[in-house]
Amino acid sequence: MSTTKRILPKGIAEADFDAALNQFRETIGSESVLTESEQLAPYTKIMMAGDASDYIPSAALLPNDAEQVQELVRICNEYKVPIWTISTGKNLGYGSAAPGETGQVILDLHRMNRILSVDPEVCTALIEPGVTYQQLYDYIQEKGYKLWLDPPAPSAIAGPVGNTLDRGVGYTPYGEHFMFQCGMEVVLANGEMIRTGMGGIENSSSWQVFKWGYGPYIDGLFTQSNYGVVTKMGLWLMPEPPAYRPFLIQYQDPEDIAEIVDVLRPLRISQIIPNAVVIVHTLWDAGTHVVRKHYYDGKESIPREAIERIKQDEGIGEWNVYAALYGTPEQIEVNWNIVEQAFGASGKAKIMYGDEAEQRGGGFEYRSALMKGDMNLQEFGLYNWRGGGGSMWFAPVSQAKGSETKDQTELAQKILGKYGFDYVAEYIVGWRDMHHVIDLLYNREDPEETQRAHDCFAELIDEFAKRGYGLYRTNTEFMEQVAGTFGEPLRNVHTALKNALDPNGILSPGKSGIRQ
Amino acid sequence: MKLTRRALLKNSLLLGATAPLSIGSAFAANQANVSQQGQINLYGSNKSTTELGLGLRQLGLKPRYEGRLNPLALSALPSGTLAAGFTDESGIVLLTSLLAGRGRILALGRHESNQHHLLSHRGPIVEPTTIETGSWQASLGREYARLALASARDRHARHFLGTPTTTNVSELSFLVQL
Repeated sequence: MSTTKRILPKGIAEADFDAALNQFRETIGSESVLTESEQLAPYTKIMMAGDASDYIPSAALLPNDAEQVQELVRICNEYKVPIWTISTGKNLGYGSAAPGETGQVILDLHRMNRILSVDPEVCTALIEPGVTYQQLYDYIQEKGYKLWLDPPAPSAIAGPVGNTLDRGVGYTPYGEHFMFQCGMEVVLANGEMIRTGMGGIENSSSWQVFKWGYGPYIDGLFTQSNYGVVTKMGLWLMPEPPAYRPFLIQYQDPEDIAEIVDVLRPLRISQIIPNAVVIVHTLWDAGTHVVRKHYYDGKESIPREAIERIKQDEGIGEWNVYAALYGTPEQIEVNWNIVEQAFGASGKAKIMYGDEAEQRGGGFEYRSALMKGDMNLQEFGLYNWRGGGGSMWFAPVSQAKGSETKDQTELAQKILGKYGFDYVAEYIVGWRDMHHVIDLLYNREDPEETQRAHDCFAELIDEFAKRGYGLYRTNTEFMEQVAGTFGEPLRNVHTALKNALDPNGILSPGKSGIRQ
Repeated sequence: MKLTRRALLKNSLLLGATAPLSIGSAFAANQANVSQQGQINLYGSNKSTTELGLGLRQLGLKPRYEGRLNPLALSALPSGTLAAGFTDESGIVLLTSLLAGRGRILALGRHESNQHHLLSHRGPIVEPTTIETGSWQASLGREYARLALASARDRHARHFLGTPTTTNVSELSFLVQL
């Protein structure tokens, strides 16, 4: 099969696109305008259950600074060329580095990777979109600052700006990333640049410490949206605590999930346990380092008998709680007693830390690293679980109540089972909310299985929405459907904002279901 | 995958707040055009890799064995470097993701028990299992060597039955240029 036909942005004549490309080259240099198939191929690698031919860019632009972004946006407006913005391009399982639809031009900001400031006194940073967690981590280490980051799981290669703008989460007490963002620089669709919060005040020293500025607070408009291109972002960094104790609690019964969440909630709200706690199911805990076919090679969902063998062989619980305590050694001892009493009351939990936890199976080592902001790529191992390169994150949000878990878990397992997929899942308990994160792993090389995965994901969205559970984030294939579950009045407001801020609709059309 | 400090140093992720890092432009001055000299880095740690290297050599390339693929290390290599080999699912995800804006995917292969799926961005694929002598991996090596030197720039995909592999393990191959 050959695909030699040139890809053009939707509705753009070839001559106009060529003229736009020439202006792009004059602005950022020919070497920063990619048009060849083999150069664009890395941007076409998707993991979601969509048709690969729907996600092919016509070109990629790699600017070096915000001024170049301004000029590129002006050219796009002149020729009505749609651009799809990525920062480091590591939104794996949510669309990766691919455009929202075929023909869009990728605006790849990974070369804009300056760390503009890190203030060890007020614990803030100001960075560009191409800065990776690893890069910022290494800078902090080199300077000897006692500051921690909050990376997501596949962390080293991703960046704080992109993850925060997609409202990602991490595992330290600063795990809700957008909550710890402070100040943005944004290039609007007309090429103008604004700074949010206190950034509009010339010589202000408070841009990275006071979020609200004056008048309407608008930073949220530039998250999960297509209203501007964020070219700088401030974030708060966690001061390194004097002591840190990661711990593991294992439960063996599938129904224990309700008790875990109910015990956990008051500890989270009162900040006895201050970090984003993860309650990991057996298959996720095993899947980071075990291959499915060692236990079961059937096409249908992995059976209970195989799950029990994995638990036995790997030393993994049905539910594996990873959390940590932070503070002085004295504070940790006090809080540890509270944790032990709370989880020990029913007699079902096995509570561990230190050597005992490390000797159990599962992910204690890498999760301990994540909960103190250290980098690793261990969760890439999940892609080996089933094989075939297919992965989609399904992540509905609910209250952190045990009563919310039973129905959700059963519903997810029922729908996944209907389509022959495994329940590879975890709950992440925030301050009051809970993300139920499921990795729908499938073989993208098998068209029939890919179609099944697509149908399964669509059904998960609809059935969870019927029960009041909406997604906090999704991949580009399903953005329209998920936007629909939040209701037309909200979509109308999103559209009105789009029309006002981007009248030619050139910025990431379709992002979060938002178009003109 | 754990990241050692050595790995990070090698892959340029330890540069901290130095001047804007552009892997592509950073090495622009070092365009040794390795491919013209016939050198190619070869990754993997099993028999398939050895056979792939044999095939590459048969068409005049000079493979240099680098062991198991660490995709993060590739970005520290000079621009123009050719690389080929075998890896697992997570390695392919990481490799292709890291090449965005930094390199070229010339070809990718998925090799099951008795079938092969090849994707080329260097023009048509000649069936690599039409083998008179040797293994399918060596044949794949010859095909990858031909594609590495090809001037075509269009995309072709081909799915075909081939010589059965000795195991039922899925193998993933790649041919990229930094």
